Amino acid sequence: MSNLFRDRSPYSWSFRVGRGRRILDLPLVGWLTVIWILLWGTPSWANLVNGVLVAVCLCLAFPLPAVDIGLRLRPLGILRLGAYLLYDMFSSSVEVTRQIFARGPYHAAVVAVPLRVRSDLVLTATAVAVSNVPGGSVIELRRATATLFLHVLDAAEPGEIEGARQRVWRMEELVARAFGTAEDIADAARPVPEGEPPP
Amino acid sequence: MNALARAADLAGTILLLLGCLQCLLGVIGMLRFPDVLSRSHAATKPQTLGMLLVLVGVGLRLRHGTDVGTLALIVFFQFLTSPVASHLVARSAYRTGQTGSRGLLRDDLDPQLSDGDGTGGQP
Repeated sequence: MSNLFRDRSPYSWSFRVGRGRRILDLPLVGWLTVIWILLWGTPSWANLVNGVLVAVCLCLAFPLPAVDIGLRLRPLGILRLGAYLLYDMFSSSVEVTRQIFARGPYHAAVVAVPLRVRSDLVLTATAVAVSNVPGGSVIELRRATATLFLHVLDAAEPGEIEGARQRVWRMEELVARAFGTAEDIADAARPVPEGEPPP
Repeated sequence: MNALARAADLAGTILLLLGCLQCLLGVIGMLRFPDVLSRSHAATKPQTLGMLLVLVGVGLRLRHGTDVGTLALIVFFQFLTSPVASHLVARSAYRTGQTGSRGLLRDDLDPQLSDGDGTGGQP
């Protein structure tokens, strides 16, 4: 059972239907069924059967390409990521509140943060996590260099820019440990790039 | 059991109030910050933390398995979709030059956008 969450991709639970690229992805069918039941609000056998039917019909009618995006589900990592997100949300919220009521105009900056992991999934998930935290605003993403461009509110304050970059790197590591492959985790454990990037 | 239910009700009420406070702070931030990019910092508050607190509060008051499941679904989709919207707003705000009247202290993105044609962008 722990194999499902450790080494194998969830996509190894899919099988081909007929010819062509129609693929029945069992985790996807399960997830769609859960959503169906939650939306109806009453867990009953009728809802379960209907949900499975609708999910299978959807998967057959709108086939998705069978791409391994490198998603692994690591329960412990997901818990740690969730806990850190909650903590970060509260602490950043206090910080933004302080900035709202502080006097004087700000001198903002746009800062590039090069990530260490070259995986689309980790890049996307990191950007989503960073922008869900108050005070995190992602302006632009570069896929080729895996770079995130952040808007930092109070850049004139010393340490603010470096702090923002450190937070992104911390988030990247946690995301890789929650959803990444073993390779991603090894990438994320490397030391962060030193020094200022060329302006 | 009754005491537990009352404690959950009380905690739910407090969380609802805290969530509303987050939304209020977000609105005040929207009013006080001068430009689009700064406002997006404040706008994230009601979208994520505020909504999370309100929904956990509602969940504590409802205390019913499927209702809590539906609330969790709302949180999941909100967390997945709101960054897309805020990214698009920030991206278009940056590209139309709405970076505030004082300009940016440091801008790592501009040289990349002007594609190194020798002249570089405005500092």
